[in-house]
Amino acid sequence: MRALLDSLKSLYPLDDIVLQRPDLAFATVPAAQVRGLLHHLKEREGFTHLVLLTAVDWLEDGMFQLTYLLHDRARARDLGLRTLIRRDRATMDGIHDLWPTAATYQRELKEMFGIDFPGSPGVDDPFVLEGWTDLPPYRRDFDTKDFSERNFNHREGRVTHDPAAHMKRHLYPDEA
Amino acid sequence: MSLKDVLSPFTAWKYVFRDPVTIENPLRDRPGAARYRGFHKNDPELCIGCGTCETICQNGAIDMVPAPGRDPRQGDSALRPRIDYGRCCWCALCVDVCMTKSLSMSNEYIWVDRDPDAFRFTPGIDSKRWDSAELGYHRPEHHRLVPEHRPHMGELEPEERIGSFAEIVDGYTVEQARAEADRCVSCGLCIATCPAHMDIPNYIAAIRDGDYRHGLELLYRTNPFSEICGRVCTHKCETVCAAGHTGEPVAIRWLKRHIVDQVPYEQYRDVLAPPAPATGRTVAVVGAGPAGLTAAFDLARLGHAVTVYEALDKPGGMTRWGIPEYRLPYDIIDRDVDVIRSMGVDLRCGQRIGGDVTLGQLRDGHDAVVLALGLQMGRATRIPGSDHPDVRKAVDLLRQATAGEDFGTPQQAVVIGGGNVAMDIARTLARLQKQAFGTVRVTVTALEDFAHFLADPDEIKESFEEGVVILDARGPQAVVIEDGEVAGLKTWKVKSIFDEQGRFAPSYDETDEMIHPGSMVVEAIGQMTDTALLGEDLTEKLAWNRGRLQVDAKGRTSEPWLWAAGDMVRGPDVVSAVADGHRVAAGIHAALTGKEDQA
Repeated sequence: MRALLDSLKSLYPLDDIVLQRPDLAFATVPAAQVRGLLHHLKEREGFTHLVLLTAVDWLEDGMFQLTYLLHDRARARDLGLRTLIRRDRATMDGIHDLWPTAATYQRELKEMFGIDFPGSPGVDDPFVLEGWTDLPPYRRDFDTKDFSERNFNHREGRVTHDPAAHMKRHLYPDEA
Repeated sequence: MSLKDVLSPFTAWKYVFRDPVTIENPLRDRPGAARYRGFHKNDPELCIGCGTCETICQNGAIDMVPAPGRDPRQGDSALRPRIDYGRCCWCALCVDVCMTKSLSMSNEYIWVDRDPDAFRFTPGIDSKRWDSAELGYHRPEHHRLVPEHRPHMGELEPEERIGSFAEIVDGYTVEQARAEADRCVSCGLCIATCPAHMDIPNYIAAIRDGDYRHGLELLYRTNPFSEICGRVCTHKCETVCAAGHTGEPVAIRWLKRHIVDQVPYEQYRDVLAPPAPATGRTVAVVGAGPAGLTAAFDLARLGHAVTVYEALDKPGGMTRWGIPEYRLPYDIIDRDVDVIRSMGVDLRCGQRIGGDVTLGQLRDGHDAVVLALGLQMGRATRIPGSDHPDVRKAVDLLRQATAGEDFGTPQQAVVIGGGNVAMDIARTLARLQKQAFGTVRVTVTALEDFAHFLADPDEIKESFEEGVVILDARGPQAVVIEDGEVAGLKTWKVKSIFDEQGRFAPSYDETDEMIHPGSMVVEAIGQMTDTALLGEDLTEKLAWNRGRLQVDAKGRTSEPWLWAAGDMVRGPDVVSAVADGHRVAAGIHAALTGKEDQA
């Protein structure tokens, strides 16, 4: 794995390389280099299987992180590639032409994070949410509580109590 | 259509008498997986009603409701979560965040009922068939939403601190304080336990927000001694902290100190509204400790003219004269007192009532008089030899140490007592010995065994670190005097301290005798109030309760003009004294404004 990483470093601007286990490593690469590197890994290095494509919302940094996890069956090793894209321009080149299955991940990311993959088959079709009109729900600025309050009624007769106020009422009602 | 097509359905009949390979009626019994998130379970004895489950629920599915037959008590609101399964999405965040691990989920998920309201119930209170189910979802031990430990606070190492009276703890940095503030779930159970009912969750929230000015404002709403309490408060609040059930309680006291550390002192006055217009009423306060000065602070802010008379030459009461400087630096006391003074309080130090000015004169010259004398006289053991001049009271020595007086540091000393005052004098003597002789030789003998020790665990730990020897379950029998000089203390092993009725009546094992050598014996077994200033007539007239001046709920004595507050009526504790100061100020204000209404 170390040799692979060294050879990749000479070809692509890899950063934040983490050799997590002898058979698992991660590296960060600029978004523009992702497709080229994935193609290289698939065709030249034996990483023929796309295990998953997922995202993390780094809200405070204004970035989405995409993680492409690849598997090399022959050598039984995994390589995760990370890339950061701007949150306010959440668009990324698709890789459905390299792995048709990527289209499903890309469709999911469009729905859950609002990250677009132009040209990806069915990318705008609903994935699990039907008729969703709110912020994509995996974005960290999506307020789940607020959404549920706006969309679902409370049953009548519900009453709640604040613990501190309840204790004051019973334990020291006359004190400030 | 061929003949085969016509006949083949009938060939199926050959299977009629064979055992079926499918499960018979699969719908009758469908157990959930072992860690399935089904209907909730709650252990009502473990639950403290903190409401964190309600706060975290992203569906607004949980209400906190009074549990029948339970009354709120310290650390338990007696509320229990009721769940609306019309909204619950079974995400188990409530289980993951539960501060006591009382809440869990069974793996039961099948329940049919025609009444929709049946699906709103209080787990553990409304009994359900899955209450005793063992399977289901429980928070795994490694899975925590609230970190278990406090950030480490820097402090002086024992060998470094023993050589001086420098303050031991560093206080939190901004990053540490935010991390610690993040551990608070804002349940507010602590507010009832704090004697001053400080708004703890909100001042901790102010730390999270970095809004220290607002934090200080919140502190001053209930406590004008936040500098002092941020360092030496007995922090009873932390004993009921929700985080303390499965980890360390939130360091509430250190967070309070962090707020006062962060706001520049020049800005303190800006967070306080100016006092109300003068009412023309005057109040005299006797004693400039936390109770007297809190009452003075409140009354001055309400527009009354307040004069505080303090017998000693500096204000602060026992916080200055009783608490050693390594725990509470003197300039910290000055900072709190100066803010109080800036409210227009006339503070007169070095003026002992009963001398040039009498209590009678105060009565005649003011609309009300507050006694906040504190507990400044040490109690005596009255054991043989304890009348020797080298048998001293801890409070007297601590006062002399604060004043910088030389009381003749003994090369070896024995302390009688197991409370915080005993630790204070032991550690003070240890420092003085280190400075004078280079070695620490202090032995503390306590009646209580370590399992029932009165002093704070931190005090005991730090005393040991500083080389103080602490012997538990030792009862003092006599001061050993040789050639007219104190040579040590004789003790017997304590068998029990209280009798069957719970009265103080220690019994000893006389065969287990020890002599603890020392040229000074220090008694630290409790304090009482010096009430000589009352004079004989007033002492006779006033109502007393077991040696303490009797007061009503507002702090008024049996003489309408005379009020009392603080340690002398409540027992020794800074924050209780602050609470009492507020109480008596509110009582006096009501009485004074009541008079105005009649006029």
